[in-house]
This record gives sequence, structure tokens and C-alpha cells, in this order.
Amino acid sequence: MLKLRALCSFQRSIPHTCAGVLAYCVIGLCVSPSYATSPAADAKSDAHGIEFFEAKIRPVLAEKCYSCHSADAKALRGGLLLDTKQGVLIGGDSGPSIEPGKPDESLLIQALKFEGFEMPPSGKLSAQVIKDFEHWVKIGAPDPRTATTAIAKKGIDLEAGRKFWSFTPIGRPEPPKVADKRWASSDIDRFILAKLEAKKLKPVADADRSTWLRRVTFDLIGLPPSPAEIDAFLADKSPNAYAAVVDRLLASPQFGERWGRHWLDVARFAESSGGGRSMVFKEAWRYRDYVIDSFNADKPFKQLIAEQLAGDLLTHETPEVEREHLVATSYLLLGANNYEEQDKRVLEMDVADEQIDAVGKGLLGMTISCARCHDHKFDPIPTADYYALAGIFRSTHMLIHENVSKWTERPLPMSPETEAAVAKHEAAVAELQGKLTAAKKLAKKLTPAGILKSGPIAASELPGIVIDDTQAKRVGDWSTSRHVKQYVGEGYLTDDDLGKGEKTLTFQPEFKKAGLYDVRLSYVSLGNRAESVPVSLLTADGEIDVKVNMREEPPIDGRFLSLGKYRFDPSNQWFVMISNEGTAGFVTVDCVQFVPVDEVAAPVKTDVADADAPKAGQAVDNTVSDEAAKAAAAVVKLEREMKSLTATAPDVPKTMAVDDAETIEDCKICIRGNVHNRGAAVPRGVLQVATVGKAPQMPPDGSGRRELASWIADAENPLTSRVYVNRVWYYLFGAGLVRTVDNFGTTGESPSHPELLDYLARQFTDNGWSTKKLIRQIVLSRTYRLSTADNKQAAATDPENRLLWRMNRRRLDAEALRDAMLAVSGKLDLRAGGPGVNDPSVLKGVGTVTPTEYTYEFLDTRRSVYTPAFRNRTLELFEAFDFADPNTVAGKRNVSTVAPQALYLLNSPFVMDQAAAAGARLLAEEPAASDEARVERAFREALGRKPTDGEKSAVLAALARDSKSIDQNSEASSSDGRQVAWERVFQALFGCLDFRYLE
Amino acid sequence: MWNPTSFSRRRLLQSTACGFGSLALAGLLNKPGIAASPLASKIPHLPAKAKRVIFLFMAGGVSQVDSFDHKPLLDKEDGKSREFNDARNLARNGKGAPARVMKSLWKFNQHGKSGKWASELFPAMCEHVDDLCFLHGMHTEGVAHGPSTLFLHTGSTTQIRPSVGSWVTYGLGTENENLPGFVTLSPSMGNGGPRNYGNAFLPSVFQGTAIGKPGIPAKDAKIRYLLNERRNDLEEREQLDLVQALNREQISARAARGIAADTELDAVIDSYELAYRMQQFAPGILDLAAESQETLDLYGIGQKETDNYGRQCLMARRLAESGVRYIQVNYSDNSNNPAWDQHSNMPKHGEHAKAVDRPIAGLLADLKRRGLLEDTLVWWGGEFGRNPFAEKNGTGRDHNPDGFTVWLAGAGVKPGFSYGATDEFGHMAVENKTHMHDLHATVLHLLGLDHLKLTYNFAGRNFRLTDVAGEVIHPILT
Repeated sequence: MLKLRALCSFQRSIPHTCAGVLAYCVIGLCVSPSYATSPAADAKSDAHGIEFFEAKIRPVLAEKCYSCHSADAKALRGGLLLDTKQGVLIGGDSGPSIEPGKPDESLLIQALKFEGFEMPPSGKLSAQVIKDFEHWVKIGAPDPRTATTAIAKKGIDLEAGRKFWSFTPIGRPEPPKVADKRWASSDIDRFILAKLEAKKLKPVADADRSTWLRRVTFDLIGLPPSPAEIDAFLADKSPNAYAAVVDRLLASPQFGERWGRHWLDVARFAESSGGGRSMVFKEAWRYRDYVIDSFNADKPFKQLIAEQLAGDLLTHETPEVEREHLVATSYLLLGANNYEEQDKRVLEMDVADEQIDAVGKGLLGMTISCARCHDHKFDPIPTADYYALAGIFRSTHMLIHENVSKWTERPLPMSPETEAAVAKHEAAVAELQGKLTAAKKLAKKLTPAGILKSGPIAASELPGIVIDDTQAKRVGDWSTSRHVKQYVGEGYLTDDDLGKGEKTLTFQPEFKKAGLYDVRLSYVSLGNRAESVPVSLLTADGEIDVKVNMREEPPIDGRFLSLGKYRFDPSNQWFVMISNEGTAGFVTVDCVQFVPVDEVAAPVKTDVADADAPKAGQAVDNTVSDEAAKAAAAVVKLEREMKSLTATAPDVPKTMAVDDAETIEDCKICIRGNVHNRGAAVPRGVLQVATVGKAPQMPPDGSGRRELASWIADAENPLTSRVYVNRVWYYLFGAGLVRTVDNFGTTGESPSHPELLDYLARQFTDNGWSTKKLIRQIVLSRTYRLSTADNKQAAATDPENRLLWRMNRRRLDAEALRDAMLAVSGKLDLRAGGPGVNDPSVLKGVGTVTPTEYTYEFLDTRRSVYTPAFRNRTLELFEAFDFADPNTVAGKRNVSTVAPQALYLLNSPFVMDQAAAAGARLLAEEPAASDEARVERAFREALGRKPTDGEKSAVLAALARDSKSIDQNSEASSSDGRQVAWERVFQALFGCLDFRYLE
Repeated sequence: MWNPTSFSRRRLLQSTACGFGSLALAGLLNKPGIAASPLASKIPHLPAKAKRVIFLFMAGGVSQVDSFDHKPLLDKEDGKSREFNDARNLARNGKGAPARVMKSLWKFNQHGKSGKWASELFPAMCEHVDDLCFLHGMHTEGVAHGPSTLFLHTGSTTQIRPSVGSWVTYGLGTENENLPGFVTLSPSMGNGGPRNYGNAFLPSVFQGTAIGKPGIPAKDAKIRYLLNERRNDLEEREQLDLVQALNREQISARAARGIAADTELDAVIDSYELAYRMQQFAPGILDLAAESQETLDLYGIGQKETDNYGRQCLMARRLAESGVRYIQVNYSDNSNNPAWDQHSNMPKHGEHAKAVDRPIAGLLADLKRRGLLEDTLVWWGGEFGRNPFAEKNGTGRDHNPDGFTVWLAGAGVKPGFSYGATDEFGHMAVENKTHMHDLHATVLHLLGLDHLKLTYNFAGRNFRLTDVAGEVIHPILT
């Protein structure tokens, strides 16, 4: 039996359990109900047994167990009650606690012995007490406690659950009748107005045109309107003016950058894995571009769902489509995972859990993950539903296990040109490989001992860091041998095929320079050697275990075997350790060499290698013939060619992507979330409560992701379209019709306008799941046009504006704030797409231990959606202004107002640089204008409006003061002074309310 | 949900508080129309013994059997192969493996009135054993640094949860309106990085403020963007005045359009004023110039090995004095195998010990003579301990989450006391086992917070630092 760790809640990686709500027990899933006929009945009459129980067992149970395992327990643990006979026999989540008569098969006894569970957790009981318990079980566990367990089995009533609003079928509500016939301009407005009229409220006045324009421009493309766009709109008196603006914005390539970013929040998009050892997702940008492109193309959201969940399983009409489909499945792999988790079964379930969470909250608005350890406490989601979904994801190939595991990647179909280039390159490699093999063969024939000069060589003749066996830390007896004259230094070590498991050699290099090194082990091969010698390395890339077959001749010069290329640096004591544990045959070890990778191709410092460029008078080892030297030189030359050829290999594009697993299987329930305590398998499937009609059939030979996607992307799924249109509403109004946008369960809020929500959901699916049509419909409504003005009566009746009697004021989010500053400064770089993480030091890990986000310098001025979104390191502006937490589905951003934001706007070089650029640009473009005219232009650029008189005089006063004091205090010319003065004006504009808030 | 004051959750999320990564704004409390600051000092659930915490984090995992957990059997069995249920093997293969017992490189002696056995690894700390309360039966989750470090800080190896310091600040607010409530000195960017002092789903006012980072000398540590590097004081004030003039003008313009002033916009204006006050006030706290030479010496400041951690410890005392609620002093680096992680070279423990021993002893002495130890809880320890046997039969020790030692000192814990025990090898906690959740519950308890009641509602349910576990360790309390 696997060793488990104490109580359920202490088991590794239980994701969570619900705080303070373990008042009832979920009766175990593999409980036998047949306790009444157990042999215990026979023992009941045994007065002696009862006496034994009263004397030896009950007091211990009461003292040591009841605090967690009785009806009076503050929090019942593991669903196990030990205060009644019935409880003992039924057991808890892991099954019956005893098998009367069979102490060896009784969980309780195993737990007391600390085999599996460790009970009590405060420390093992004395051997005598454990013996008493064994005896008690052996004699049939006599127990006079007849009370029945006072807990009811709580099941989930799915029929009752379906009555909750979000699980009811989506209706087709008719727009309501309204009293005011003139106000509404669309059906959306009629739904809103009807609710207002019912409360005797009236909507406030419309926003003025420039306010609306600023609002809709930020909302649709995340940038401010330019002064020219403002002028054009204010001048356009046609009835179509508003629609024209909206259509222009929807068609702009910046639309996808804005709305793609919204989806990236929901998709918990990030470019590193987070977790303990955060690893860079070098290919994640492809998914980001896929999302942006999809929103720009107005790809039906239904299709977006299918591609993200099961793109690899769809039909690909063209290689381009296949690319898109594969990239889309990155969605499943983008989560924050602890790839260094050592228990790989736990990791597998954690990854599946993360996916269930992302799909659950992101697409369905359900906190399904709660059901990992127990039936959902609040929503009608039984544990079985969780494992039905888990089976789908566990039947998907998404993990490659190593010490630090990795996500899966797949090659992308290539363009014909790339494909041709790759084929050409492969052919060239094959050809050269042929030549190389022949040359090696010849060289070997001429010099049987290898191309290095035969016989011992000094460590100093070898490149890189060489640790000879004499410098190794020895554990156990190793003897020195010089039997085979093919070693480095003074000889080599052998374990003499004795004392297996007792001997190790540890080589500990000192590195002066961080970098990538080829680690090479030198040993002496012979037929009597061990075939599977364990070698462990501690490297900056982690701990590596390899096995070496010492019967085979070392491939490099007949002396060395490469153990692989790893990173090392001076910060730590790294090592290579060779052990003779579990080996059969002689283990020999000569030395370990660490060759910096840029030197690998360079020949070792020997006479033969130098033959590549022979010089007159050069000392030539007499043991090697001229022919042999030539042959060896040819090998070296070809090896060099091979290296440069492989270095110029065309880039074969790949993407994070999944595939169906080789084994398709249903997932067994993990009791209380414990992967090592498995219950029954649950057929793969979907959420029962949200299934209208027949549940989808899961294919026996496929994971079921395609079926899952079809079930989600169904117009009749009561959750999907409601959740999505509500998200869109939230992005446009600052509050969803359901304000808990990621939670449509019973602990979420109910919709303020349920009919409108259904109306929008139906419109959306009827319109081919078009996001653009949905947005157009909403932003052209009268409701969206409202101002943020006050109304005392309305504020008293509806202080939170749930009924939308006015527009909500909204703060610019982090990206819009940054992009707006860049737009005003003229530094905004509108290049779209491509890798965002473009710093080679991050991609290759040069100068750092491993490729990591920690050293990344955020320097570019592209739109914020292209700023690398790492999990453990965020652009400081993003951090200060409540960027989405990429660790989880973030349908809604936090909105905080804290001093660090003020500090950032006052003191950060980024803000000051943008302000300086904006100032310089203004002065350059308006060289002849008066300061007054410039102030007008600055306000129009930054705030989309003219300054008020008060603002103008404040700015002019500051300008006058700054220009003067700067000129006086420095030798700078007056133009420099003016420039600095304008920098300050723009910085103040970037920090003011009207820049930071949308009315 | 425990609702310490009357502000609503929505209010909290759209917080008007000028948190500096957490900053109280007690002054705002008196302003009409402004909701109570979430950082305002709060009344705890229980009578509090401690007002604040200083956590001395030993990243990488100090070996208990080489420091405070005396196991004479290791000397006797040194070099012998014994079967151990090694956590890493268990996680990977489901079973243990034989390994070579390795004795400590450091000699153990008895110290203080309590006669506590401790090794010569930490000679200066040994002078304070009568002030320390040792927990020898610690155990935790995770085997690798990442998961265990996250568990230590957030109570979860994988899920996104608020850090202990964030929970504490959420529960108690802060005592100083001009300083963050939760400060972490030179935190590592590795092994979870900012998540170890992050607020997760708690409002961002409760996030930890990082000062300095590994690799940068502590004397150069500062708060980001606190000072403007291009402008002098006068120019800073002028710049602030210009922004505020525009802000006030824009509020009046709104009023003219029928939009009343509201707390949200006022909060922005207040955040600027507060930022300015912080610029004036905070740098002085971190400046050690006012400290006497005797104090600097006490912490080992000015000596090569101890200067860095000494400065951090002294800053911690100054922050504690100034009312910061939770101060973490990191001994770490940015690598995946941080500081104390001696897989292959135990003697290196000695170098790390030299760097922290004098500074920590100095901090204890300084807190004590200033009376601060009475209401400050000091917590020393790593994310896990190390094995009593050699890693892969080499010369180092692997991680050990199943048994290790931490110590507490100060407010509310028994001085000169030891609780819990590992087995005779010092490997697995066996007696009075204390899980990390229990330690969290106890730290909260000492601060007057009931870990069962300190909850926050997120994604449809209440969350706790201690999940569904955690027992307060009453036997160690005074």
C-alpha cells in the first residue's frame, strides 16, 4: 500500500476544501452497506469482549480520536465517525475503518501503525495500545455503542438544481412595453427602461458627443480618439454618424487587440508557468495572436470554443487552418502549474484540475473545481461530474514527465518554402553525416586506439574544466588502475565489482563563468563492465539522472561520453556523482570534463587536432602515422562543418498544443481529492445539471474533447451564451447584468435584468455567435449613450445603478492607461503580432541560471497586449494598476485606488519619458503657436476636449514658472526650459482624473 | 465572512484606501463621506499577545540535525546504510530507499539555563536559547522548493492564495498611516517570487511591499518610485500641485454638469497627498544613519559577512518600531536552489550561518532591551529541513518536509522551551507533530486572530489561511 500522509486535508496538493463548512459528511464512495451482517453481531453477546472494549478501546477512542471523528467534533475529518459502532463499520471517505476479525485488513489498525494514514496525527500511540486494538478487531470488534450515526447522507438533487435560474433553458423574451415611447432606440433600451419605469425612475440625459466618442473609442479599441477623429465626428450631423464611428472601430485592427486582451484575461493567458519554478512559455505568443486575429475576423465564438478545446481533433481544410487549430489548443496548457511537483500522479490531476477550473469559470461561469474533493457544497455539481470531466482531460496528452515536467508542444505545418528548406537541410545533414561516418571509420581503421593520441594524456591537455578521478570525493573503496592505457592523468578508478551500493565518486567543479557546458564522463570500456551505471548531476537546470553503459566504447575520441549539455554558474556547488548502486560488472571512472558549449566544436588540444592546420616543425606524435593524422583531421573538419550546418537549420515552428492520449480511459474518483486513494471510475461526460436533453456520447477511442466542446458551444447550453454576453456587457458598462461574471452559481449574484440577458444570449447565437454584432448592438443603444450625471431620486432608489439609470464611470485599465500615454507621446508602436518575449537573454538564459522572466527588461513601446505577460513578474505599471491576475480566470479586474499608483504617475521614468516625448512633439509640431494654443492642443490630444478656463490658467501659470525657473537655474537654453515645462504639463495631464477615468 | 468593520466588500474592492501595497489612512476615517479604510487598525477576535511579526526566512531549508535538533545516534550510525522513507523517493516511487547516515559536521553542546542542546553552527544565537521556543516536530507539504516555499507563505502548494502577511494585514490593519502594513525585505524572485508576498484575491491594499532584492546590497534597498530621481523636492511639490489643481478643477467641472463629487474621485486626490507624505516620511525609516555605532556592531553591520543581513535585521527593528504589522526578513537568493540548499556540500551551511547568526542574535538582543520583544513575535525557519542521511551517498543532504525545526521568540510564546520531536535520526516528526498549518494558526492566534474566523469570500466561498486544517499549538503559549 502506498504510504499516505496523515489526514485528508494534509495530503499533498489537495486544492482546497471549503473553510469551516465540514459540518456534514459525504459518505464514502466505496462504502459497503452490508455492515449489519458483519461478524460483529456474533461478538455482541460476548461480555468479555465488551469488557475489553470498555477497558482498553473506548477510553483511547474518546481521548485520541473523538476530537476529529465524532458527532461532537468541531470539524469532522475524513468523513469518519468513531463514536458509534455504525460509524466505525461504515467508515469514512476511504471505506470501512475495520474488517472485524481481520486486523491486517483494517484501515484503522494500519492508521494506528502509521502505515498509510498516520493516526493520531499528534504522534503514534504506544505499542501496547496498538496491540489492544489489533486484539479487539481480531475478536470481532465487540462494541456496545448502539446509537445511530446522526448524519444524513447528502446527495445532490439534480432536478431541484435545474430550477436555479442559470440552469433553466434560455428563453426568447419579447421586449417589454414601455410608457415613454420616445426614449428607447432599441430593444435593449426597452428592457432597461421598463425596469426603470417600474421603479418610477427616468434615465438621465445623454452624454455629449465627445464624451460618447471617447467612451466608445476606448471601449472598442483601447485607445483615445485623435483630434481629427473628434473633429470629424462633431462635424458629422448625419443620423448615421454614431453607427459610422462604431463600424470604423469594429473594422480597425486595434479592435482585436482590445477584445482579444479581454479574452486573454478569461483564458488566464500568461507567458510563463508560474508555480515554484516558473518556466517561460516561449510559444504562447502564437495563442495570443490567434486570439487577436480571431476577434478581428469576428470568428464565431462557437468556433473559438471548439478550436481551443479540440482544435487538434477538427478537420483542417488547409495547412493554415491546421496551424490555427493546433495553436488554439494552447488554451488548455496556459495554466499556472507546478511542474516540479515530484509526485507526478498529483501533477497530472493538478493540471487537469486547472483546466477544469479554466473551462468551468471561463466558459460556463461555474466553480467546478470545488467538486474535486467532495460534492459541490453550493451548486448542483456532484464529485462524479468533476471526474467525468477530468477523464476527458486525463485522456489528453499534455505533460512530459521529468524531474521538472513540461507541457506538450507540437510542430506546426510549414509553408511550402519552409518545408522545402527543411527538406533541403535534412538532405544536406544526411549527406554530411554519411561522409563523417566514413571518415570516422577510416580514421579508426588507421588508428585503432582512436583519433586521440593513444595512451595517457594529461588533464591540462583537455579543454574546459577537467576534474580527474584523484580530485573526486570518494565514498567506499575505489582502487586505481592503469590496466588499459587510455586514461587522463595518473590512471582511473574501479569499484572492482565489489561493494555494490556502497561506493560513490563525486566530482565538484568550480565555475568561474555561468553558461552552458557539455558534461563528459571518461571511463574505460571493456566487456566485463557494468551496463547501467547510475550517474546523477546537480545542474542549474535541475537534478538529472542518467545511466551509462560502460561496455560501450565512449563515442568521443574513444574516451568520453557526453552526459548532455547543462547550465552551471558560480552560485552553487554543482556536482556529478557516479554510484555503483544496482550495477553488475565493473564500474570504471576516469575523469569528468565540463566543456563550455562554444568550445565543444574546438578540437581537443592534441597533435591530431592541430593537424587541421599543420605547421612546419610541429611536434608530431610518432605513434600516429601521417595517413592516420590526415584521416583524423578530416573527421575534425567534417565535425566542424556539421556543427555549422546544424546551427543554420531552418526554424521548424512549433506550438504549445495537445493531442489525444494513447490510452483513453475514464478517471477514477480521488477520494477527498487524494490521488492515491481512488474510488470508482466515472464515465467521461459533462455537467449533468447544465445538460438539456441527451448527454453527449463519449467516444471509446477519443478523449471526448470534441464532444465537450460541442456541448459547451451549443445555443441550448443554459450557461455558455449567457456567460459570454454578460462578459461583453461588463466590458462595456463596467458591471455585468450578473455582476459576478465568473460565477453563475448559487453563490454568485442573480441577474439585474434576466430577460435582457436571455434576449442578448438568443440574439448572439441567432446571429452566428458574432461578437462584433453583439457589441455593435449594445454600443448603439440609447442606454450606452447615457451620461454619468447624478439624479438624487434615482441614487436613493438604486444607489448602485444596477438598473442603469445612468452610465457607470469607469477607470482606464492598465493597458488602456499605458497605451493612451504612448498614443499621446507619439511613441506608440503599432506593429502587430509576433513573439513578445524577444530578449535573447530570457529565451536562452544567457547570463542567468535558466531561461527566466526575472531578468526580462520591458523596453518596447508596442501595445500593451504584446507586453510579455509573465506570471511571477509583471510590468510595474500593470502591477500598480490592477492588471489581470494571470494565475486564474480573471473575468473581472480589481479596481483599487492606492498611493503606489500616485507614486508611479509622479515618479516613474516611463511616465516622465512619455510626457517628455509628448512635450517635444507638441513643440516640434506647433513651433509658432502661442502657449495658449498649445495648451488647447495638449488637452485635445490627452483628454479629447478643450481645457476649461481654470485648467488653462493653472497650466499657463505652471508653464511660465517652470520655463523661468529652469532657465534661471541652469545653463540650458530657453527652448530646453520650455521642453521641460511641457514635459511637466503632459505628466500632469497623464495623472489627472479626466485622463484616468472614462465618463 | 468575518467583517472587521462596516465597509462592504464592494467598497473594499474599489478601495478608497491609499494602501501602499498597503497603507493605512487613518486620517480619512474622520472625513465625512469616506468609508473606513480597510487598513485602519482593527480590533482582533481575541486578546492579542503580539502586535506584529518579524519572520526571518531561511530560504532553501536549514538542516535541523546540524543546528538545533540534537541526535547523538547520527554519530553512532555515521556511514551506515539504513532504510529511510525519503520524501522525494516516496513522491516519485511510492517507497523509501536505503541511504547512508551522515553525522553533523558541527559539535553539539548545552546552552543557557535551559540546558538546550545546540550545535556550534549558530554560536551567537545559542546565547539566546533561553529566549527561544523551539518547535522540533515541524512538518509541511511539498518536496521541492517551489511548492514548499509557497506552502510556507500561503498555506497552499499550488493554488493562488494570499500570503500570511496579507492575511494578517487584512485582519488587523496597520498602525502607521504613512507606511505599508506588510513589508518584505529582499525577497527572492524565485520559487513563487511575488506570490510569496502577494494578496491573491484579497484587495490589493493588503499586498506586501518589497524593499530591495537579492543581489542588491541591503544598504541600497528602497521602495520603488518613492523618490523622483530627476526632480528636487521643490519641483516634486510643484508637480503635485499642478496635478491636484487639474483634479480639483475637473471635480468642479463635473459639479457644474450635475455630477456630484464622490468618494472614488476624492480617493484619487487623497492618494496623491498620501504619496507625497510617504515620500517625506518613509525614507527616514530605512536610513540607519541615526543608529549608534554600538547598535550597528550589535548587528554585525560593517563586517563583511554580516553587513547585509545585519542591515536587513536592523531595518526590521526600525519598521517594527514604526508600526509595520508584518515584516519578513529574507535570507535568500534568486536561484532555484536557494541559499541553504546544500545538496552536495554541507560545509557551505557554515558560510550561511556566519551571515545570519550575529545579525539575528543582535536583533533579539535589541528587541529585548527596547521592550519590543514583549509584543513582537519573531519567527525563524525555512520552508523545510534536511535529511539526516547523505543525498545519493554524497556529501550533502536533500530536502526534508517530514521533520524540521523552527523557533519562535517573544510575545506570547514560552521562552527556553522545546516542543515536539523527530525520530531518533532526526528525520520524521513523531511527537507533538506540528504541521505548517498549525504554525500559521498559532501565529494568527498570537496576533489575536482566530484562524477559523479570518475568512474572505471569493469565487463563491470563504477562504482561510489554514484551509480546513490547523490547530493552535496551545502548549507553547504563555
